[in-house]
Amino acid sequence: MFNKIIPHKPITVENLFKFDKTPFNLFMMTVTIILLAAFVVGVLNYLIHGHHAYGITREHPWGLMIAMYVFFVVSSTGLCIISSLGHVFKFKSFEFIGKRAIFGAIITIISGFAVIAFEIGHPVRMAIYNTISPGMTSAIWGMGVLYSVYLGLIVMEFVFLSRDDHKWSTMFGLGGLLVGLAAHSNLGAVFGFLIGRPVANGVFYPIYFILSAMITGSYLIFLMYGFRYKMKFDEHISTFLVHVARLLGLLIAILMFFEFWRFMTSIYGNVPERAASAMHALTSPEFLIGEFGLGMLIPFLIILISKAKAIKKLVYASLSGMVGIFFMRYDLVHDTLAYPMQTMKIREYQLAPTWVHYSPSWTEWAIALGALGIMLSMYYIGENFFYLDPKEHDDYFEHYKDAEGHEVEEHLITGTDANK
Amino acid sequence: MANYGMALDYKNCINCKACEVACKEENGVQLGADKHRIWVGVKEIEGEWPLLDIISNTFLPSQCQHCENAPCQEVCPTHATYYDENGVVRVDSDKCILCSYCMVACPYDARYVDDRTMTVDKCTFCSDTRLARGETTTACQNTCPTKVRTFGDLDDPESEISELLRTREHFSLKAHIGTKPKLFYLT
Ligand code: SF4
Ligand code: SF4
Repeated sequence: MFNKIIPHKPITVENLFKFDKTPFNLFMMTVTIILLAAFVVGVLNYLIHGHHAYGITREHPWGLMIAMYVFFVVSSTGLCIISSLGHVFKFKSFEFIGKRAIFGAIITIISGFAVIAFEIGHPVRMAIYNTISPGMTSAIWGMGVLYSVYLGLIVMEFVFLSRDDHKWSTMFGLGGLLVGLAAHSNLGAVFGFLIGRPVANGVFYPIYFILSAMITGSYLIFLMYGFRYKMKFDEHISTFLVHVARLLGLLIAILMFFEFWRFMTSIYGNVPERAASAMHALTSPEFLIGEFGLGMLIPFLIILISKAKAIKKLVYASLSGMVGIFFMRYDLVHDTLAYPMQTMKIREYQLAPTWVHYSPSWTEWAIALGALGIMLSMYYIGENFFYLDPKEHDDYFEHYKDAEGHEVEEHLITGTDANK
Repeated sequence: MANYGMALDYKNCINCKACEVACKEENGVQLGADKHRIWVGVKEIEGEWPLLDIISNTFLPSQCQHCENAPCQEVCPTHATYYDENGVVRVDSDKCILCSYCMVACPYDARYVDDRTMTVDKCTFCSDTRLARGETTTACQNTCPTKVRTFGDLDDPESEISELLRTREHFSLKAHIGTKPKLFYLT
């Protein structure tokens, strides 16, 4: 029955534990279990102590949790955009990644929701009042609604891709892409709309979010395919990854260009608050080492020097890139909030004005990083239960048996009958 | 239906913090939530001992500005933050989902989380307490020994505050961002 809706491999517990016990696989398993355990412990501590378990303060009401949520949803939008290059925009070499990338988009956004559920004080109330008392002028409202629709659309897209139904998967793909772009730029606007925070206020974030999403998506493609093929790429995959690398190089170059002018325009003229905040952000190690070094420079140099050919190195560089992306999200939140608001901080009880400090508590780290465990385990489950590659790339088909051990007819696997 | 605002003759402030105490008492502010709902900013004395410029030492009492164009209201996803019929910016704690967006958006840092309800709270011009009982003063104004605060209806031309704003020069904080605060500092 379920197979009719979405073709899948036998869903059994046994299947889940059938993997080659190579050192790397065992390592990944251990990491995933540790992360999941961290998530559970973090959530328990949050449930006991509430927001007191977090390092957030009145002056810095958002912290690592928001950063991690943004990290995940940026990843999701990024994967959605990159996958749409294939099955919406019909770039030939991108066509085969559709299912895997969209599956990645689904699990990253679910991981993001898992994080935000423990940041929003009253998530259930949110579902109710977002519906019956919608604050349409709020970017958070827009983002919430759009991301929910987006999730629905990409799930449908995945279903139709799995059924090899190109008509509907393209439709849902286009819908998911457009709603995803809207949702994601709205998330940028959550920060861009802050009139009281000159360093964030303005057009930069909504646009930059889309750009950095595409970069994140490309890094994740490298990581997923590096992992999928254990760094042994056949010719087809190599060509594809070289194409991604070229695209990535271009995108990083644009990002560096954006960042350059963003800082220039923020600092030039020494406008109160804005210039100081921008200088503060620019000179922080999080920006210089994290965002710029790991997130842009290392991958960019590898692409530049190897003329986008060193795809194996780029898989490792993508890991560095994702760490850099994490810092981008962290800085997004922290830099926005670092400048003390006038009435309180600057004239408060003899205290000299200082930057607002924030450091995440262990609970925040546990939940935020633990959510990576949710993502990894969902990916693993997906890899085991669904067909994430097109048939010609999936060696599973050669010895495919269903749960009872019968050879399965081809039409069930490819889902071709579902189209009729 | 009034349009409440407050004028502060801040140069008279002696930093006794009676207003903070009165506010806590009146509105049941949590213990430990100091400088949260209402506070007195201090500008330090300039110069070095013994050549201190005592006049430079001023105090700036502050709280929620009850902006006419309030960023906190605009960003609230559930209309938990709203303007009441008296032009006071209020939070409906039943609707607040504690997304903290308003705390990030408020340019005056006037909001805080009440740990008992786990929702956002702030100065209400005593709407839930004194105004609800039919009084027309706020606790902070009532208690101030040097009469720094004048609370009243900005729409009523006869009110004391309207008179003050007509006759005295005044400024408001961060006026340039267009929030139209209703706390007026008399110079
Ligand atoms: S001061 Fe802050 S909390 Fe008060 S109305 Fe203005 S924006 Fe809202
Ligand atoms: S924390 Fe509450 S009052 Fe503030 S924006 Fe969110 S829902 Fe509205």
